[in-house]
Amino acid sequence: MRSKLIAAAVACASLAACSGWKSGQANSAQGNISKDNRPPATAKASAVTNGAMTNGMVMLAVPLPKDRALQVMKVRHDGMEAIGDANKALHRALGSSDIPTVRANAAKIAQLSQQASTWFPAGTGPDVGKTRAKPDIWQNSEDFAAKLRAFQTAARALQLAAGGNDVGAMNARFAALGGACKACHDKYRAEESR
Amino acid sequence: MQGVPRQISRGGKPLRQVVWDLPVRLFHWLLAALIAFSWWTVHHHHTDWHIWSGCAILTLLIFRILWGFAGSSTARFASFVRGPRAIAAYWRGQWVGIGHNPLGALSVLVLLFAIAVQVGLGLIAEDEDGIYMGPLAGLVSTDTSDKARHIHELWFDVILALIALHLLAIVYYRFRGKKLTLPMITGRADVQPGAEPMRRGKWWVALICLAIGIGITRWIIAGAPPLGS
Repeated sequence: MRSKLIAAAVACASLAACSGWKSGQANSAQGNISKDNRPPATAKASAVTNGAMTNGMVMLAVPLPKDRALQVMKVRHDGMEAIGDANKALHRALGSSDIPTVRANAAKIAQLSQQASTWFPAGTGPDVGKTRAKPDIWQNSEDFAAKLRAFQTAARALQLAAGGNDVGAMNARFAALGGACKACHDKYRAEESR
Repeated sequence: MQGVPRQISRGGKPLRQVVWDLPVRLFHWLLAALIAFSWWTVHHHHTDWHIWSGCAILTLLIFRILWGFAGSSTARFASFVRGPRAIAAYWRGQWVGIGHNPLGALSVLVLLFAIAVQVGLGLIAEDEDGIYMGPLAGLVSTDTSDKARHIHELWFDVILALIALHLLAIVYYRFRGKKLTLPMITGRADVQPGAEPMRRGKWWVALICLAIGIGITRWIIAGAPPLGS
């Protein structure tokens, strides 16, 4: 009898312990990513029009020469690191309602997100140099382009929200941005090597 | 309910007696399940569940430490944590008792310590993209959080090694004729005559220990005010 009582109590209590946790970004994010329903980028830029922008996304049909590719990969890596650093600073600033810091980092992320359009030309995969970008990026280029656009949209939305004073809205946009980052990273980024 | 052996010794044969109370058994299996769950969630990018799992492990750890002072006799640190002399005597086969033997006690302490370190690192860590923060990550710098995540990843290998040792010991004892797994499920084991029977802890004390564990965990989840948010 007593054992049963304790068992029941432990079970209830374990559940109770879990109810107070406010999870990070990803929960509310799903709904927001798919709002951008524009048609996916047509990754058909010809070899002649190498730098052509198709719907915000540059896809090169002809792989870059290796030295040029390594340069792009370096810019991409540094850019992603910069986005990560800005996102971390922003997350902490949201926790302490430090609006100016949120604003500055949201602007930084939005700006870098636009540059990201040029970070994934063909020929910058793991066969060329050290990178966590998976080859699937160039196999599913339309899906990848859609996810990159969703990221840019989410980054812009956060920047707009950060322009105001509604911390709740900033939190919601931040959650959506995290969801957009995660959607792409889960699918197209290889695990961190140790 | 206290101090009464369930059976009386007859003719020096081993007797089946209660050696692990329900709180100890629940702690053990919930901990094992949550460690497995923590591993699975983080490898499948469910970082939010991973943080939840860590918080539940924190509650379990606080409970177990308190139960180690206020629980049944076999759960109490004072009854099973022994010095090197007792460990040497156990090694020579001169030990009669129930519960953790003097050598196994070391394993208990090291495992609890290693898991506590892992939880502590997780509390102040953040993921590499800054999307998720441990509940206390806001109390430290981004740099410290990133370092904590890195060590958190490496430290899991230490825990894996300890789990491997734990399982190897169970297999070793099985070959020596001592079954350890079933008693951790049923609570009962064959006990040599002469061993002091388990004194049961009180169920309401277990509830108080658990309530304290949940209370501290919730405080930490809230960012440990007034230290944090």
